[in-house]
Amino acid sequence: MNRDQLVKQIDNDLGSKVADVFRRNAKRVYLTVEPENSLAVNRYLFEHGGRLATATGVDCRDWIEVCYHYCFDPLNVVVTVKTRAYKPACELDSVATVFPGANFIEREIQDLLGAKFLNHPDPRRLILADDWPEGVYPLRKDYHHEAHVNTGRAVSPDHGRARVLSALRRG
Amino acid sequence: MEEPEFFQLFVEGERVVDVDVRLSYNHRGMEKRCETLTYDQIPLLLARICGICSASHPMACASALEDLCGIEAPPRAQYIRSIICELERIHSHLLWVGLAGHFIGYNTVFMWAWRYREPVLDLCEKITGNRNHYENFKLGGCRRDIPQEAIPEILECVNAVEKPLTMLTKAVLDDPVLGVRLKGIGILSETDGRRYCVTGPTARGSNLPIDVRRDEPYAAYDWVKWDVITQPQGDVFAKAVVRLLETYESIKIIRQCLEKMEPGEIDNEPRSIPEGEGIGHAEAPRGETFHYVRSDGTNYPIRYKCRAPTFVNLPSFKATVVGAELADAMLIVAAMDPCYSCTERMAVVDRRRHTEGVLTMKDLLRMSHERTARLIQRHGIRSAQWES
Repeated sequence: MNRDQLVKQIDNDLGSKVADVFRRNAKRVYLTVEPENSLAVNRYLFEHGGRLATATGVDCRDWIEVCYHYCFDPLNVVVTVKTRAYKPACELDSVATVFPGANFIEREIQDLLGAKFLNHPDPRRLILADDWPEGVYPLRKDYHHEAHVNTGRAVSPDHGRARVLSALRRG
Repeated sequence: MEEPEFFQLFVEGERVVDVDVRLSYNHRGMEKRCETLTYDQIPLLLARICGICSASHPMACASALEDLCGIEAPPRAQYIRSIICELERIHSHLLWVGLAGHFIGYNTVFMWAWRYREPVLDLCEKITGNRNHYENFKLGGCRRDIPQEAIPEILECVNAVEKPLTMLTKAVLDDPVLGVRLKGIGILSETDGRRYCVTGPTARGSNLPIDVRRDEPYAAYDWVKWDVITQPQGDVFAKAVVRLLETYESIKIIRQCLEKMEPGEIDNEPRSIPEGEGIGHAEAPRGETFHYVRSDGTNYPIRYKCRAPTFVNLPSFKATVVGAELADAMLIVAAMDPCYSCTERMAVVDRRRHTEGVLTMKDLLRMSHERTARLIQRHGIRSAQWES
């Protein structure tokens, strides 16, 4: 199989689920996908040999654009799935339900941009400090550093031990 | 970028039953900072992500920006990029071999590996002006040329590294203690490797032949002959073998680059940055670095995304460490070659005794050394190098 066949196959198999296929150049393909089809398209790409390199979140005024980048290594092509999480809810289906490699990647976007990934297996904070205020997302365009309280402390004083102990008490 | 880390290991006696990883104690917000920098400044900032990968991130950045602009660097610049990236890989892999030796109490390996790392760093200084942070990569080419008269000297140094490297590789591969200590621990299966989307030596040690240098040839990798090293076992030893053999491939690449390099332009700067997006990835010593840039046609990017290899390799720790012995835990983390400041400390919760304690790097090192000593005794190995 080569790149052209891959793009053709994606077009055939996913058809109506992909709103637009854009080949920027031979090695870069961008698929625009409605949020409700995002999970199906991501699952399809992963099951057909794609390796999720990472996902990028971009703040675009009325929505958070989430771009999942899949590398098809033997074919030398990167397929990017672009989907939108519309504000204010910013909800998307989590891809981490399909394979664990997406777990950290989605939590990073959730922390920094405030997209919510539905059914995520472990939606705890990953990047932001424990005492970072709720609902403040540093990679959003309307974020102003001075406006938010900075405690100057990067971690909780007990290194998350309270959470471990409460988990133990629960058994 | 998302290091140091905090690992919570849940153990039953000496066996690890579950693990929880916390990251980002030192998040530096570089992606946000990139949005305030011009395209000329961004590679300089990205070199600061890591002192060891200070060629790979600017390399991936340059490819992303070149993808955005639809240009290519001139051939001489491509050769220079390859040479610097491979020198970086040699010194990074030697650093790893040394540290892995230190972690299991084999300090002879540590000293030898780091001793032979020195001339490579000096060579980097000779070529770029710095032992780390080379600042040589830019959109459209390189900032500094390698003078033609310096090439014999570089070749001499590369040759000088190869001989002790052969000795070191033989010593490590044939050592009976390293065999029993590293084989069969921290196994990452091929399926798990794919599910966790791992890259670099972590993937290649698990029989996943992923290498950006071959899969999407950037710089001069398409013009020289070399092989992708893979090992099928997926354990810590396999990853060590991949790294050691890769340094030979790096030497091969550098030699060919130096021979094929012809005098010429090294910079092909575009007149303006168009609107749109670009993706660039490069093979760092630890795995693939992935960069994505979106531009609106102004001097500054709208969004700059940069993903370091440890961020995708680290979650696979969950697959490799569960079921392992506590004394091996540090070695298994180290096998992924994350930044070493990461393994600063670990919390251990004994589920049966309901106790909890924080083990520092020192405790884990001691446990690891004791296990090596036990293995030496059990297998009755006598060697002058194993004094403890």
